[in-house]
Amino acid sequence: MQTLCIVGEDCLSAAETLTDRLTTRREGRVATVDCTGSRPVDGAGLPDEGEFRVDGDGRWVGAGSDRSATELLDSLARRYDYALLAGVVHHRLPTVVLGDVETPPSTPIVETTPTAAELDPETILGRIDELDPYISLETLVDRAKASPMADRAGAIATFTGRVRAKDDPADARTERLTFEKYEGVAEQRLDAIRQDLTAREGVFEVLFHHRVGPIDDGEDIVFVVVLAGHRRQAFRAVEDGIDRLKDEVPIFKKESTTDGDFWLHER
Amino acid sequence: MHWKLFADLAEVAGDREVDVDVEADAPTVDDALSALLDAYPALEPRVLTDAGKLEPHLNLLKNGEQIGEPGLSTPVDEGDELALFPPVSGG
Repeated sequence: MQTLCIVGEDCLSAAETLTDRLTTRREGRVATVDCTGSRPVDGAGLPDEGEFRVDGDGRWVGAGSDRSATELLDSLARRYDYALLAGVVHHRLPTVVLGDVETPPSTPIVETTPTAAELDPETILGRIDELDPYISLETLVDRAKASPMADRAGAIATFTGRVRAKDDPADARTERLTFEKYEGVAEQRLDAIRQDLTAREGVFEVLFHHRVGPIDDGEDIVFVVVLAGHRRQAFRAVEDGIDRLKDEVPIFKKESTTDGDFWLHER
Repeated sequence: MHWKLFADLAEVAGDREVDVDVEADAPTVDDALSALLDAYPALEPRVLTDAGKLEPHLNLLKNGEQIGEPGLSTPVDEGDELALFPPVSGG
């Protein structure tokens, strides 16, 4: 799923304009997420449990207060090809800035214009497919299940690496890890690992996704998903997959703790 | 030649990507490394040991392939991409 945050004045109307263009020009499904808080459902404020309505054209509208922006993206990522989020900035998600809005230094800025009126939707449409996609564990599991070998697969094993706040109760709290990767070479190394593992008897699909940029404590960093004939084959391949990723793939981690920042290899 | 630097090496240099020119007739990776260290002297204590050898824990890649210290005599030309980085720490 391709995501784009839009912040600043009239960001919701800008998101709706982009949604209209995307739905007419692209095959995929588009979700528009209103994080501006300006349009409560039925004028009664956001319901605690979430609310869904379907209009006459079969389009549904949902509202709720039980998920953060990234939790919402996790739930959208399986079913949608695009998500446009109006009124939210995130330190890792591609963003269009309308006017003078402060964004975290790490936010990937796609475009900045003084007002919504000056935003050219065609420029954004031309670039949206090149942005880093939002991939969740479920995205990879769905891809594994879509394998032509799925009829012979009795097991899916997954690994999720996440940001650990503390290894010991006395540790300084890890607030954030920031990852960078050697683009191109990282993908080649992952592909070599995938080829080795899928050459094993009974291992049909191996999928990796490693996020880059700043990742807060408690957030997911990396996913490994294996589709295999039997559980032992799946467990071994998922373990070897993450072990080899950590040993061989040029990705680098900087840790930010309450005691300061340092690169992990310096420890 | 084009150098890519990662992690603390990029921070020490203040740049992630660096183009260097090498004067030699038959340039090697060693020449390209010297040119890099000439342009960014702050990198030298991080990259070379006291004996002037490449720090053994650093990775040196040419066009995505690990070559390390034994590969310093490898020839390079203008189109080659070289990379220098500490032990990987993904996941």
